[in-house]
This record gives sequence, C-alpha cells and structure tokens, in this order.
Amino acid sequence: MSRFNLALRLLWRDSRSGELTILVLALIIAVTSSTAISVFADRLQRTMTEQTADFLAADLVITSPELQPANWLAKAKELKLDNAQTTEFSSVLIENDEMLLASIKAVSKAYPLRGYLKVTGSDYLQEQTVHQGPKLGSAWVEKRVLSALKLKLGDALTVGEKKLIVSQILTYETDKQGDFYSFSPRVMMNDADLHATGIIQPGSHVHYFFQYRGDSKALLEFNRWLKPQLNPSQRILDIHNDRPELGSALSRAERYLGLSSIVVILISGVAIAMATRRYTERHFNATAILRCLGIKQSEILWLYGCQFMFLGLVASSIGCLLGWIAQQGLFYLLRSLLPQQGANPSWLAVFFGFIIGIAVLLAFALPPLLRLKQVSPLRVLRRELEPLPTSAWLVYGLALAIIGLLLERYTHDLKMTATILGVGLITLVLLGLLVYGILKLAAKLLPQMSLIWRFGLQGILRNTQASVSQILAFSITLVAMVLSFTVRTDLIDNWEKQLPENAANHFALNIFPEQQTAFQQDMLKNGIQHSQFYPVIKGRLVEINNTPVQQVVSKDSQGDNATHRELSLTWSKSLPEENKITGGEWWQNAQPGLVSVEQKLADSLKIKLHDQLTFTVGSQQIKATVASIRVLDWDTMKPNFYMVFSPGTLDAYPSTFMTSFYLPQTQKNVLNTLVKKYPATTILEVDVILKQFKSILTQLTQAINYLLYFSLLAGFTVLFAAVYATLDYRIQEGAIIRTLGAKRSFLTKIHLIEFGLLGLIAGLITVVISEVLIYSLYSKVMHIDYSPNYYLWLIIPIIGSLCVGLAGYSGIRHVVNQSPVSILRELSS
Amino acid sequence: MHTQADIAVEHIIVAENLGKSVLTSEGMLHILSAVNLLIKAGESIAIVGESGSGKSTLISLLAGLDTPSAGKIRLNNHELTIMDEDGRASIRNALIGFVFQSFQLLPGLTALENVMLPLELSGNKNAKSLAAALLHRVGLAHRLTHTPRQLSGGEQQRVALARAFVTRPVILFADEPTGNLDSKTGATIIDLLFELNHENKTTLILVTHDQVLAARCQRTIKLDSGAML
Repeated sequence: MSRFNLALRLLWRDSRSGELTILVLALIIAVTSSTAISVFADRLQRTMTEQTADFLAADLVITSPELQPANWLAKAKELKLDNAQTTEFSSVLIENDEMLLASIKAVSKAYPLRGYLKVTGSDYLQEQTVHQGPKLGSAWVEKRVLSALKLKLGDALTVGEKKLIVSQILTYETDKQGDFYSFSPRVMMNDADLHATGIIQPGSHVHYFFQYRGDSKALLEFNRWLKPQLNPSQRILDIHNDRPELGSALSRAERYLGLSSIVVILISGVAIAMATRRYTERHFNATAILRCLGIKQSEILWLYGCQFMFLGLVASSIGCLLGWIAQQGLFYLLRSLLPQQGANPSWLAVFFGFIIGIAVLLAFALPPLLRLKQVSPLRVLRRELEPLPTSAWLVYGLALAIIGLLLERYTHDLKMTATILGVGLITLVLLGLLVYGILKLAAKLLPQMSLIWRFGLQGILRNTQASVSQILAFSITLVAMVLSFTVRTDLIDNWEKQLPENAANHFALNIFPEQQTAFQQDMLKNGIQHSQFYPVIKGRLVEINNTPVQQVVSKDSQGDNATHRELSLTWSKSLPEENKITGGEWWQNAQPGLVSVEQKLADSLKIKLHDQLTFTVGSQQIKATVASIRVLDWDTMKPNFYMVFSPGTLDAYPSTFMTSFYLPQTQKNVLNTLVKKYPATTILEVDVILKQFKSILTQLTQAINYLLYFSLLAGFTVLFAAVYATLDYRIQEGAIIRTLGAKRSFLTKIHLIEFGLLGLIAGLITVVISEVLIYSLYSKVMHIDYSPNYYLWLIIPIIGSLCVGLAGYSGIRHVVNQSPVSILRELSS
Repeated sequence: MHTQADIAVEHIIVAENLGKSVLTSEGMLHILSAVNLLIKAGESIAIVGESGSGKSTLISLLAGLDTPSAGKIRLNNHELTIMDEDGRASIRNALIGFVFQSFQLLPGLTALENVMLPLELSGNKNAKSLAAALLHRVGLAHRLTHTPRQLSGGEQQRVALARAFVTRPVILFADEPTGNLDSKTGATIIDLLFELNHENKTTLILVTHDQVLAARCQRTIKLDSGAML
C-alpha cells in the first residue's frame, strides 16, 4: 500500500508539469467518442430488438402486394389467431394550395395487435397511449403534415376522393420502419374508409401487411401451413426469425460513426504515445535515482504502471460520462430518422467505452513506459546512458491489435477488417512518406530563407517524425470532414444541375389503362410535355436458365438488390428513348416471349444473350428469352426499366401506366386538378424527393461530422503533445535567442510561422487527398461530374494554418513572455 | 568632485544601490542589496564569491537579462532600469556579448550558424563571412558545418567565444566560462578570451570561483550574501 501511496504522490507532483494533462485529455477524447458510439449503437440495437413484436405490431406479419386470400383468414380463425390488416401506399395530398407526398396507412379495427400508438390533441397536451387506430371518417397525421398543408386539428383532409377529419396528431407508431418510405409524413386512417378514397384499384402499388397474434404453437402451425402458399412477392416477418432491419441509411451511418470513432482513437493514441514518451524521457533521471536507492526494476514498472492505471481510470470515467452526454447529441441530430421512443442504453455499452479507455492507454502508453524499467542506476553518474528504445514490433503491434479489434466490432466482417487495416496502413505509410518528402524538400530551401522563416521552418524539421504525425492527424480529420461535406453538396447539386432545362420533374404512377387516354389528353390540354406512357407490372426475377437467381448472385451486388424486390416490368414495341443496344438486336416484329435487359444488371447477374429468364407475377410464372442488352442513363428523369419485354408477353396481367412530365413552377396548380381527377394516380415531385434526400443526407453527415469534431480535438492533443515534447528545446532556444538580443516579436513570429506552416502543409495535403478521393468516388462509384473545388484550395489551407498556428502558438506563448534569465534558471533547475 | 554626467562619460557601467529580492514561501529573500559599481570602458573585472553569494544575479542585472528590485543601472549611457524587455534586448544585441558556463549553443544550428545568429538578428548583411572569419580566428575553420553535438566541450566554448565577439561588443559578460571544462582546455579558452578581449578592447566582466583566473583581471569584486565586501 505504501508503494501505491508513493505512486499517487509522485503522480500528483507530475500532474503539475503539464504533459499528463495532454495524456488525460487525449484519453478522455478517445473514451468519449467510443462510449458515445457504443451507447448509441447499443440503444439503436436494443430499440430494434427489444421491441420487435411492437415493431411488427403483431407476432407474425405477412407483407404482400396483393389482397389477403380468404382461406388464410379462415385458417387463422380455425387456429384462434387474432388478425389485423394495414394497407400502405403513397399519395399526394393537396390542401390550401399546398402539396405533400404522404405515406398513407389504412388500419383495421384490431390494429395494433401488439404495441401501441401515441397521439396528442395539440402541442400543449400530454401524449396519450392508445391501442386502436382512427375512427371511421377521421385521420391521424404526423405534425409535419399539418404545417406542410397549413391545416389544424379539426380541418378536413382529402385522401383520394374521401374527406377525413384530422382528429389527432400521431406521435408514435409502433410498427413504423426505418426505410425511405417512412420518411414521408404519415397519415393514418381507418381501412373502412379506404374504398371511398378510390385509390386502391387492381394494379395499384400498395403494401399490405396481414398481422396475426396468438399462441406460439398455433402461430408455428399457421406459419408452416402458409409458407408453401406464398408467392415470391410475399414475405413472412416472424418475431423469432426476422426482425425489421435497420434502414440501410441508418446502419451505414452506424458503421461510418464506428469508423470515425476509430480515427479518433488512433489520433488520440498518437497523442498518448507522444505524451508518454516525453513523460518517460523526463523521468529517466528520477528513475535512476530511485534505482540507486534500491528500488527493483519490477517495482519501477509497478510504480509507474499504478500511476498510469490511476490516470486511465479517472480519464475513462470522465470520458464515459461525456460519452453518455455526447450520444444524446447524436440521437438529437438523427432524431427524425430514429424511432421516437429509444430504448435505455445498457451499462455494458458504457463499460465498453471504459474498457476502450484502458485498452487504448495500454496499447499506446505501455511501450514507451516500459523503457523506464530499463533505466540503469549508473545514469546518476553518466547522464548520457539511455535505456534501449522499445521494440518497434511491440509499439506498432499493440496499436494495430486494438485498432483491428475495434474495426472488427464495427464491421462484423473479418475480411473487411483486414482490408481496411491493410489499406489504411499502406495509405498511412504512403502519406507519411509524402509528408516526409515534402519536409525534406522544404529543408533544401532553408539557406535561401530569411532568419525568421528559417527558424520557423526549422521548428518543423527539428523532429520530422512528430511533425509528420501532427500533419497526418490533421489531414486525415480534415479529409474526412471535407469529403462528408463536399460529397453531400455535390451529390445534390450535380443531380439538380444535370437535369436539362425543362427535363421531367414529375413522375405519374398508377395510371389505370382506362384512364390513360383521358390523362394524356388532360396533359395536352394544359400544354404539358410528357414522355412515353409505359405499362408497368410488378414482378420478380426468380430464375436464370432454370437456376434460382439466389445461387447466381453475389451478396450486396446490384443484382442481389434487384432480385430481392419486385421489379417494374414493361413492354414496348420500340426501343425506349435514350436507350442503346449493346448486345443482340431490338425486336422488329412483335413476337412475344422476348426480353431486353439493362446492361449493368445483366453483368451483375451474368445474364447473356439467349438466356432464359423466369419471372413471377403474382402467383404466376413467365418465361422470356434475352433478345438484347441495353445501356441507359438513369439520370434522365424518364421512366427507365431493367426489363423491357416484347409486346404480347405480359398481356395476361393487369397493368398500370407510368410517365414523366415537366411542369414549370407557375403551373403547379395543374397537379391539383390531376390529383383530384385521378385519385388513384400517384404523382411524385422530383424536387420534393430531392428535398427529403437532402435532409436525410444532411442529418447523417452532421452526425458523422459530430464525431469528426472529436477527431479534430484529438488532432489538437497531438499538436500539444508535440509542442510539449519540444518544450525544453524551445525554452532553451528562446532564452538564447533573446539573450543575444532578439525581441519578443521575433520569437512570436517564428512560432506563428512554424505552426502556421504545419497547418498549411496539413491543409494542402488535405486538399490534394480530398480531390483525389472525390475524383475517384465521382468517376468510378457515383458517376457524377467532377470539377476541381477551387474554393477548397483556398479555404482549407487558410483554415489549417490559422487554427494550427494559433493553437500551437497558444501552447508555447509563455516561452515568449518569460524573461530570458528566468528561462535560463528554469533550464538549469 | 565628479558630477553625474562625468561619471556617465567616464564609466561604461554605473550601478547605484542595486538590489534584488524575491518573494518565497518563507518571506522576502534578499539576493542582492545596495550594490554600487563603477566600471570603466576597457576594464576587466572579476566577480568572485561563494555559491549563492549573488554573482550570477549581479551579472544578469548588469547585462539586462533581469530587472532589479531596487536601484539603477546605466550601460553605455543607456538607463537599463527604465527600459522594457524589448528595449533591453536591443541593447544586448548592440553592446553586449555573453559566454556561459554551459556554452548555450543552439543544438539545431551548425557552428557557423550559431556564430552568425547575433549578426543576423541585427540585420548584418555580411554575417556569414564575419562569422567564418571569427571561427577561423578561434581555430575552428574546419568545424564550420558541425553541430554542437559533434564538437568537444572546448570546441563548443570556442564557438561560444566567437559568437560573443562577432558583434564586436562593448562589454562581454562571462559566467564561469571554464566551469564545464578540464583545466588544460579551460586555460586555453581563458587565454583566447583575454586575447580577443585585448584585440577588441572590450570591457570584460567575469564571474568565477577560480582565484588564478580572477587574478588575471584588473580588478576583483567580492560578493558575500548579496553584498559587496
């Protein structure tokens, strides 16, 4: 115990020197970010898992694009299962000259079988938990529906042809899922009013959810009985086997957040290693004296180990607390994408943050600390005797191990972990070499420089390794920030920009065949330009040359996505506009049983000319031979199809039509007429969809940037650790230069130049790397136009040099302000 | 009877009632008290005394590295005690040279760059040639590009001497210049110091424990517990 007390006493004395402050700060930052992510991810998972039944609003749910066969209900009744049904579809609502694409949900009387809904009468009233949907003739809406349509409670809202009274604000919906459609504001109505809306007709794009509740044995039997009867477009969601997946946007965000927190840990780790190194070096003499006084090597390690563990415990506890607060911030930033009722986080997630703190400290501080064990007592006589440096294998091995473990945790994929680790390591080495090269090149310019600039640059060149670390720490963080900002902005701008003047800005879906001519005439009457009308049938690709597609397709590929959902199938006599044939020939005589496949999908599914494809439409199968392969531009804002059949192939199935058209802002009121006249037709406004995407992207990038601020803070701890590591030298240099007659302003200038240059180099490297990454991303992945971001070249280096310059200078300003003689005394003491 | 003006003209350093006190946890500590000094141009003075007698404090005050708690200092007709730190820095650059016990060379600079530094600080265009000539004079022509780590203790002190004399200072302060050297090397350095002092007609103020060295100066000032004996 006395040794422990001694360790704490020594720690207390050391804490006044400053370098431990950096170490503790870096550790707090690492723990805060990892706790925030750990708790955030945990809450998200628990929200999803714990409330699975609530999320389904039942014990078993079948999703289907078709109505429920009567025998299912009979079987459910026989097994004493309760049942409910919801019907979901999109519809454009118009009130008070305002339009809104809403997600309508019509619910049966028994809904929800599990879970509950929450509603409120107004902002000022308490939420009420209810176990039944709206009454006949009324609608419950999300608050944003009211503001978007300038409505208030008690007003009438017309859905299709049916007027409903808005009676409540819907604040929580048990089975609202995190996919894109759920971002459209919800209008909930009674399904007994559905018929009167006139929206649902054969061929309408609708999702039905058939929900059942009951005894688990009965459910199992029902499940077994049902399974063979399902067609490929129907799916069972079972609380034991399935749970609603997180929306892909959210799960990706979770992964990126995890990776960002690793960046924070890595940068903080560098700061911890640098601070510990200086701490160790400053303790060589004290350790030598302790060794002379008879303390054993193992005791030395124990003494310092105790101090560091104590620091680790304190810093990790503070980090956990801050992390807890920070995850609330993340939830706030992503509030509209997340379920309103988040689960409480588990203490295990907080503990994980704590463990990370201790692990990071061990991985980055232990190797330099081990040197103290090697200090020879002879050093009291011969100061030049320094212990051997720690093995590089240990230093980098420990760091790599912890980063690898964390990567695995966030990616859940060994291969991806190895790839990220490998690519990351190579990138870091290459970048390090690049920075090193730049610094060496700069060293060649030294003789030509004036005294002030020479001293400034020499500050960076004095310890090239530390300078490279600082520059990389800032560059990596800034690159991540620049990318998340630029890609988001460019994605939206490019999309908007790419649309040619008068390009279609609306899509009309679900136009029924008998209404098509009238619809077309109404458009002509209003002078609206529209594209061709294409028939649309929902169907699923199930086999290629009689082999199930699931056996052909690789996971997560474009083909995989396309085979997991229903495709819009069409037929056409002529080749659709702006499509080009790259293989085979377009059919000349309308001969049924042929299909033309979009090239990228064909490549992904390895579909070749003359292959035989099998599709299911409803419960029936269609076979077609691949007659041609087409390329097309998905950004044309015209109806585009993966599969175009030859006329006659799909005649036996009910279809609806779709088209796209251009409507100038001044003619928006035409939509009003169209929507009222054709209530079953869905009109999608491209600008509204873009706006929704914009808001989702903005929220996600804000959340990622939130984490990057931690990484920026970590970057500053690296800077301060490096400043502290060279403080002795700086004090000596400052003292000598001032003794020789230099003014304070001279020292101020050289320090500002040094740190300003450091920030400038980091900024320039950021811009170069960002531009390379943006170019590759745009040209290879996103296929959008790349143009150099000239403003980045100006702004980032300026921001870099200003921030780093001022921060670095603030770290050493006391060197400038001290009288030279007191500095000399400080040195000799 | 000398007037104030006469004293100033005749003497390059005038210190009146100089005192230095610092506040410690145990109260006020008087390091120097009521020191009066008149030093003529070209004179060589040795300041001797026990450890802790205030020698280093006295020269740090005389050289304008520190400010006194009481009294006045005039250096070549400039009143140091009314100047701010930057004003004193200009005086140091223009008038004063330093030699320290621990050499105080900048480890990142070569011997030549170390010697050039005070010239460059005063904006001298011929810094390089003047510094090289002086390094030649102290016998280090072959060591111009070496950094302090690559030089022996004696060589480092030669570089320090070259740096001290390169600006042709009016006054040279030397604080235990041989303290870190063996006696043979120390003797060589002292010879060199006095030669350069003679060549440049510099006023030399030297802090030392060494009685032999003190004896080579024209005058010796002895300090005891912060007071002149």
